[in-house]
Amino acid sequence: MSDSAFENFPHLLGEWLKGGGPDSDIVVSTRVRFARNIKGYPFTLKATEPQRAEVLALCEEAIQKIHLQRSVVTLELDKMAEVKRDVLVERHLISRELAGGEGPRGVTFGRGEMLSIMINEEDHLRLQWIKSGFDVDRAYQALCKVDRALEKVVPYAVSDNYGYLTACPTNVGTGMRISVMVHLPALTMKDHVDKVFKAAKRMNHAVRGLYGEGTRAFGDMYQISNQATLGRSEESILESVKAIVPRILETERQMRGQLYSEDRSFLEDRVLRSLALLRNARRLNVQEMMSHLSMLRLGVDLGLITDVPMQTVNEMFILGQPSHLQEREGRLMNATERDTTRADLVRSKLAAHSN
Amino acid sequence: MDCQCCNKKPARIRICDVDENAIQEQYNVCPDCFALVKRYMFDMARPLMATDDVISEVQGLLGPADKALVLPETAGAITPLADSVPACPQCGMTLSEFKARGRFGCPRDYEVFAEHLDPLFERIHDTQPARHQGRLPAREGDSELVTRRRKSADLKARLEAAVAEENYELAARLRDEINQQDGTTREQA
Repeated sequence: MSDSAFENFPHLLGEWLKGGGPDSDIVVSTRVRFARNIKGYPFTLKATEPQRAEVLALCEEAIQKIHLQRSVVTLELDKMAEVKRDVLVERHLISRELAGGEGPRGVTFGRGEMLSIMINEEDHLRLQWIKSGFDVDRAYQALCKVDRALEKVVPYAVSDNYGYLTACPTNVGTGMRISVMVHLPALTMKDHVDKVFKAAKRMNHAVRGLYGEGTRAFGDMYQISNQATLGRSEESILESVKAIVPRILETERQMRGQLYSEDRSFLEDRVLRSLALLRNARRLNVQEMMSHLSMLRLGVDLGLITDVPMQTVNEMFILGQPSHLQEREGRLMNATERDTTRADLVRSKLAAHSN
Repeated sequence: MDCQCCNKKPARIRICDVDENAIQEQYNVCPDCFALVKRYMFDMARPLMATDDVISEVQGLLGPADKALVLPETAGAITPLADSVPACPQCGMTLSEFKARGRFGCPRDYEVFAEHLDPLFERIHDTQPARHQGRLPAREGDSELVTRRRKSADLKARLEAAVAEENYELAARLRDEINQQDGTTREQA
């Protein structure tokens, strides 16, 4: 593993955080993930250390064979420091499970950080493609190309009845999960979030926090994803996500409009206080930073704040995370040091744009 | 206070949703209903459910009539943990280990535990029958044709759904797609 892969990490961000793409007022990113396993090997859970090493080698070789167009970075996680693995989690390039796992495992990702391939997570291969904004079709098509290339060089475990066989029964069939990361401050403020999520659940979609299963929705960020993977074609899963997400977006926009027209001074007060706090704080814990960034993001979208670009807001969300801060400073820090460094980072990012 | 599930017996157990060390939500239930709640919460083979969903699920189970004590066994939702099938010869996974972990050990498990899987899959994926409708890798023999056959079955199901929803625009698109598919399949045959 070369350290050079990490040189720019604490400073530069992946393509999907640009803050562009369709519906980017609410949707941060769209991610499509395929779960795949290799024929002839037990799933990671039951694989011995030598078997895991074999699977890792096999997958790395397959990835090389398919000549991904852009240059890629391949990291073997069991040889990496914990803080570096956590940077990858904060970047959404790997899952917490893979970071905290054991034995031979790895990740390959493109320089633009749109494609990432996890090896020896719960499944042998987890392929994912992230696009900024609400862009299900393009993320899906891009990932399909990688998947089709891989299936020619490595035999996947499949069955006619159950499709792609996965370690967890919740992924079997297409092995496909689409996750749309949305920012819902107005729905949260108006206490409507639960209602919307129950409706989504009734239509077989799950809503989770920012970093996936079991995590909290920091900064009013949520992930909406399809729950069923079996008994439907890929196309019909895409269609259902494309039907449900816009309804949630519509409700959030309505609420934003309502807040803006009915109680503008309340909204301005919340947004501008958050901006003032972020511009002046000397210590910021991660939760506080994210809740004020959420208001900032809302303010930028509604035009209440004009001198901070959306990309800067998105950047702070990630660069202010604990492991990014420590990687940037090149040392481990305690909570107080992190809070001070985080406040410094946020102030300097915002100072660059103040008039 | 009466049990929030059956509304009959006195509540003796309180379930608290704890988040960041603060109690977010409380539910009061009787011991009989709690036994049902527990099965939903600790059955690892099903996706993690929010407490309020578990409560409403149990309320649904109890239903209009007082069938509470018969239903859980017959509903197929919760099967006894006794091992009625041998362990997987490939990875050693047993049925009870699978149920406890909620994970398969290897692809072979899908055959070994076959008779137990359909009800589980139908529930998790809210589908019947629990059969793959998507694509398969191109290298698997005739799977290109298999995939297309499945795809056309799926298209037909979606067409019916679209018509039922009176979404005629989508229905028209699907109908065109089906016609096109059928044409290709005939040519291939």
